[in-house]
Amino acid sequence: MQVTLEQVTHTYQEGSPFQAVAIRDVSLTIREGEFLALIGHTGCGKSTLAQHINGLLKPTSGRVLLDGQDIHQKGFDKREVRRKVGLVFQYPEHQLFEETVAKDVGFGPKNLGLSDAEIKERVAEALRKVGLDEPGFTEKSPFELSGGQMRRVAMAGVLAMRPQILVLDEPAAGLDPQSREDMLQLISGLHQQGSTVVMISHSMDDVARFATRAVVMEHGTIAMEGTPQEIFRQAERLEQMGLDVPSVCKLGMKLREMGLNCPEDIFREEQALPALLALWKEGKCHGA
Amino acid sequence: MAEPIIVADHVSFAYEDDGPLAVRDVSLSIERGSFHAILGQNGSGKSTLAKLINGLYLPTEGHVTVCGMDTQDDDKTWEIRRRAGMVFQNPDNQLVATIVREDVAFGLENIGVPTEEMPARIDKALKDVGMLDFADRAPHLLSGGQKQRVAIAGVLAMAPEAIIFDESTAMLDPQGRREVMQAVKRLNKEQGITVLWITHYMEEAVECDQAHVMYHGQIVLSGTPREIFSDVKRILPYRLDAPPMARLAEQLRAKGMPLAKGILTVDEMAKEVARLCK
Amino acid sequence: MALNNITLGQYYPADSVVHRMDPRVKILLLVAIIVAVFLAGNLLAFAPIILFLVIVTKLSKVPVRMMVKGLKPLRLILILTFILNLFFLQGETVLLDLGFAQIKRESLILAVHYSLRLILLVLFSSLLTLTTPPITLTDGLERLLSPLRVIHFPAHEMAMMMSIALRFIPTLMEEADKIMKAQTARGADFESGNLIARAKAMVPLLVPLFVSAFRRAGDLAMAMEARCYHGGEGRTRLRVLKCERRDYIACAVVALLIAAVVLTGKLY
Repeated sequence: MQVTLEQVTHTYQEGSPFQAVAIRDVSLTIREGEFLALIGHTGCGKSTLAQHINGLLKPTSGRVLLDGQDIHQKGFDKREVRRKVGLVFQYPEHQLFEETVAKDVGFGPKNLGLSDAEIKERVAEALRKVGLDEPGFTEKSPFELSGGQMRRVAMAGVLAMRPQILVLDEPAAGLDPQSREDMLQLISGLHQQGSTVVMISHSMDDVARFATRAVVMEHGTIAMEGTPQEIFRQAERLEQMGLDVPSVCKLGMKLREMGLNCPEDIFREEQALPALLALWKEGKCHGA
Repeated sequence: MAEPIIVADHVSFAYEDDGPLAVRDVSLSIERGSFHAILGQNGSGKSTLAKLINGLYLPTEGHVTVCGMDTQDDDKTWEIRRRAGMVFQNPDNQLVATIVREDVAFGLENIGVPTEEMPARIDKALKDVGMLDFADRAPHLLSGGQKQRVAIAGVLAMAPEAIIFDESTAMLDPQGRREVMQAVKRLNKEQGITVLWITHYMEEAVECDQAHVMYHGQIVLSGTPREIFSDVKRILPYRLDAPPMARLAEQLRAKGMPLAKGILTVDEMAKEVARLCK
Repeated sequence: MALNNITLGQYYPADSVVHRMDPRVKILLLVAIIVAVFLAGNLLAFAPIILFLVIVTKLSKVPVRMMVKGLKPLRLILILTFILNLFFLQGETVLLDLGFAQIKRESLILAVHYSLRLILLVLFSSLLTLTTPPITLTDGLERLLSPLRVIHFPAHEMAMMMSIALRFIPTLMEEADKIMKAQTARGADFESGNLIARAKAMVPLLVPLFVSAFRRAGDLAMAMEARCYHGGEGRTRLRVLKCERRDYIACAVVALLIAAVVLTGKLY
C-alpha cells in the first residue's frame, strides 16, 4: 500500500487577511515498508504535510492518492484512509479521555464498528506492542500513569486501528533520555515488523540511526530528499538551513578539515567506531 | 570562592504527610554568579527541588536559605521569590497578559514598582533577551523559544540575583533551545546572575560550572561536567544519556585506542584523534 | 496553527480619538447615553442621538459595515419587537386594515420607537467594544468598580480573571483543534448523527480539553506565585488611566446631548 502526494499546496484560512501558505507544491510518495524521516524547523510545514497523509487536511490544490485513488474525490470513504494511516500527534497523551486504559485504546476500534470481542483482542494486541501488557493494566485510569506510559497508551490507541502506515509527529518530544530511547526502540520495532513509518523529528542522531529515507523541508517545500547517507553527506547545506547534523558527522567534517583521511559517509556511532580505529591504525603504521 | 547565594541544608520533602519523599536529604550550596545544572530522569525530584528553593514548597525537614533568608520565614517569601526568580517548563502556561510588554510588567506590578520606573525596566529586560522588537505582540503568536525568552524577561525585570530554570527547554525545538541557552549564558556571564539549570539534556549541562545528578530524590553525583559526564559508566545507572562523544571515546578506548580522559565535545574528540593519528 | 489568528471580541484596531479615550470615561458615557435613549420621549428626540452616533462613528474610523454587523445576531428580536408592537399596541387612528388585523398610527410610531431604541443601544455598545481592546475594557471596569472593595466586591480578581481568560482563549482554541483532529484520526465523528449522538461525540474532545485547562491553571497559578503575585493589595500598574482634554470634551458633549433629548421630548 502506498500514499502519494501530488503537487499538494495547503493554505490556511484562504481568502481571509490571515491567509498563510503552509506547504507549496509538495510531491512525495510514501513507499511501503520504509522508515521516512521528516526534518525541518518548526513552521516549515512538516506537521501540515503529515496531516495530509491521512486525509485530515484537504489540499488547497493537488491530490492525495491512496493506492492510486484520490482520497478526496466524491464517494471515497475517508474512514478507509484513517484506518490504514495511523497518525500520532505531538504529545498524544493530551488526548486521553476514557476512564480506563482499555476503553481509551478501544476507542478507535469501536469507531470502526467492531464487535466487543474483536475490540478486546485489538486492545490487548496494541498494548502488547507498546510493552504495557502486565495484567490489570487495562483497568487502570489513563490519568494515573507516568508520562512515558501515558504516551505509550495513546500510541496503542492508534495501533489498535491496525494501520499499515504509522505517522508520528515528534514521538519522543519532552521525554527523558531513558523514555526517549524506549520510545524510539518501540517505533523501530514496529518498522521491523513491517509497518511503514513516517516520523517527524528534530533529532538528527535519531534520523541517522533509524530512517531509511529522509525529507528535509524548508519554507513549505521539499528542500532535500534521499537516504540518510545522501542527506548527511551534504552536512554543510543542513547547517546553512540552521539544522543540526549528527554529532558523528560533525566529527568527520572536523577531522577532514584537519587533513585526516576520514571517510565522508559516516553518520552513525557504530560506523564511526571502525572508521576511527582504521584511521588510528593507519597513523600508527606511518608513525612507526 | 564567592559567598553562597542558595543553600540547601539536609532538605527532605514529601508531597503528603507520611507520603514517599520526593526529595531526600539534599544538601547543596550555590555560589553567587555561578552556573549550576541539576540533571535527572523524570521523577528524580529535580523539579521539586527547584520549587523548594523558590519557596513554592516548604521543606518537610531541613532548611533552604536564599541570600541568607530562610524560605520558611513567612515575611521573606516575596523577597526570596523576587531575588531568586523562576522560569518554568511550559511556555504557554506562564505568561499572564495578552501583550508581551504587559506580561513583563506583571512581576513589577506585583512587587509595587512605581509606574514611572516600569517602562525602562521592561525595555531593558526585553532587550537583554533579544525580544524588544516583540514588545507589542500577543504571546500566543510567538514561537516557543520566544515565549520562554519573554518569561525570562519577566523575571529579569524584577532584578533577581538568581534564576532557577525548571526544564525550561524541554518543550522547545533545537532552535528554541539554542535561543534560550544563549540568552541565559549571556545573563550569567555579563550580569553575573546566578543560574540553576534543571534539565534532562546532557548537552545543555556540559558547559556549566558545576553539575549535580539526582536520582530517586537524592543528589548522587556532584562535580564539574567533565568529571561527571566523561565517565560513561558512572552516569549510566542513573538513566541518563552520556554525551555522544564521551560514549564514542569509551568504545574506542575499549578497542585499545589510548584517548585521553575527559572528552565531551566534538572539538575535543577531533583534537585527540588528530593527535593520535598524525 | 489554523486558529492562531482568531480575533478576540470585536475590537477594530485604528488610531482615532475615540480609540484613545479613557476606557472609564467611555464606559460611563455609554451608561449616560443609554439613559438618554430611554429618556427620549418621542421620535424627534432621537434625532440628536442619531446625529451624535453618526459623528462619533465617523470620528472612530470604524467602517459602517462593522457597526451593522453587530446588529445581525439581533435581527430576529428586532423584527419581532417591531411586529408585536405594531399589531398588539392600542391606538385610534387606523392606517391600514388588513382584515385580520389593523395597523394604527400610534402603534406604528411606538413600534418604530422601540425598535430604534434597541438599535441605538446595540450600536452604541458595539462602538465601545469596537474601539476598546478587551483588556483595556477590563482595566477600565476594574477601576470603576474598585471603590466597591469596601463592600468586598472582588473588582481586581474579576479583572484578573478576565485578562487570563483573554490570554488563554487562543491557546485553548488551538488545543481543541488539535484534539479534535487527533480523535478524528482515530475514527471519531463530530459531524454526523442527531443531537444526542453529537453531544456524546463531544466527550472525547471535552474531557481532554478540561484536563488540559486544569493542568494549565495549576501551572499558571504556580508561575504567578513565583512572580510574587499576591492579589490586588499593594499592586502598582504599568498602565495608568488618565483623563485628558478629549475625555472632558466628550463628557460635555454627552451632557449637552442629554439636555437636547430632554428638551425635544418636552417641546413636542
